[in-house]
Amino acid sequence: MSLPHYFWLYQYLWIAPHCLLLVVAIVMLHKGSHKSFPIFFSYLLFEFLQFCLLYAVAEFHFKISTATYLKLDLFDRAGGAALHFGILHELFGEPLAHNRSMRRKIGRIMNWITLVLIVLAVVFIGALYSRIFGNRFPQAYIVIDALYAAQVCGLVLVFLWHRFLGLRMSPLSFGITVGMGLVVGIEPLMQAFATLMTKLAFRHVDFVSMGAYHVAVVLWLYYAHVRETIRPDAATVGPRLLEETAELGRIIHS
Amino acid sequence: MISIVFVLLLIAVAFVLFLVFQFWGRYFQRGPSANASQLIPVDLDAFENLTDPEEEEYLRRNLSASEFRRVQRLRIGVAKVYVATLSENASTLVSIGQSARHHLDPKTADSGKKLVERAIDLKIGCLLLAIRLNAAFVFPTLLSPSSTIAIRYLAAKQVAASMPRKSAA
Repeated sequence: MSLPHYFWLYQYLWIAPHCLLLVVAIVMLHKGSHKSFPIFFSYLLFEFLQFCLLYAVAEFHFKISTATYLKLDLFDRAGGAALHFGILHELFGEPLAHNRSMRRKIGRIMNWITLVLIVLAVVFIGALYSRIFGNRFPQAYIVIDALYAAQVCGLVLVFLWHRFLGLRMSPLSFGITVGMGLVVGIEPLMQAFATLMTKLAFRHVDFVSMGAYHVAVVLWLYYAHVRETIRPDAATVGPRLLEETAELGRIIHS
Repeated sequence: MISIVFVLLLIAVAFVLFLVFQFWGRYFQRGPSANASQLIPVDLDAFENLTDPEEEEYLRRNLSASEFRRVQRLRIGVAKVYVATLSENASTLVSIGQSARHHLDPKTADSGKKLVERAIDLKIGCLLLAIRLNAAFVFPTLLSPSSTIAIRYLAAKQVAASMPRKSAA
């Protein structure tokens, strides 16, 4: 691919997903789902504002040093990673939205699991990266990649949690989980590749990362818009439901 | 160095495949109402008997320590089977309630919503209870699952007190 093509593709993959984030936020506002996922909604706005800032700095040649730009980039990544944990809590808590005490109890367990995952991830990624890069790799990036690895485990747990409950995930929570999985799932790998590659190959890696983010945003947009499609058999579910509800009552009361 | 990147690559590929599997499960497997099997009958009197604190106290007084441990482990083992069955029933109820939530009749939809909430509470109650039973299985003389079961049982009663009558009416 020639250089102008690279340029336009890069511009597209940088600008389009971030603009779509705003569309996702508008759709969520319109549907009222921002109330169910307030942290995800904040994440969308955070990412959009960060994009505006970084894009303006990078493209309009504001006079800031590379170190300051890297700090901004790190702030973006760290803020995004922190918000991802909040989103994970929302995804875990969604089935328990009706029961505040249960949600608090599970929340406490989740906090401990999160802490253990972060410690394990820091040890894992730290050990891997120190063997690959020695001291060349910035420590902050190691921590952020470790957070991504912990989030991957968290996302697997979200699916297992819903499976355990026998609960079909709502469209938006499914979309958020899969989209976030795409974003955080390949990030540590891309980071490792990017640091090992030459400048040209680095671009390819960057494209994969940006492409995955684009796909994730499109998924969020689709699932923010789509409705639940379970169509029960009207003739059978009613009587069956009454029968099963009575059975649940018998189980609990007798 | 390359081998470590290869490990990262494998992890990433495995996770992406996991996501693809979730997609497949969501769109190409049978719906929840089709999967929902009948509830498995549970003899609740026998279950209560197994976790009765008075019964446990009686055994503790009349058996030697080693014999009590053996009998208590047997009782806990059977209680775990009951809890697993209750948990399975709760999953069935969740999937039935979930499909009923989208019913055209608002009353059925409302009952479905309530059923999902109660069944999830029951399911999580079963999970916590199973953890407690496993701990008691390891330390049968130190930990007694009975009191916890009784408290949980009462709590579940309070939470679900009105639901069956309302929806069955």
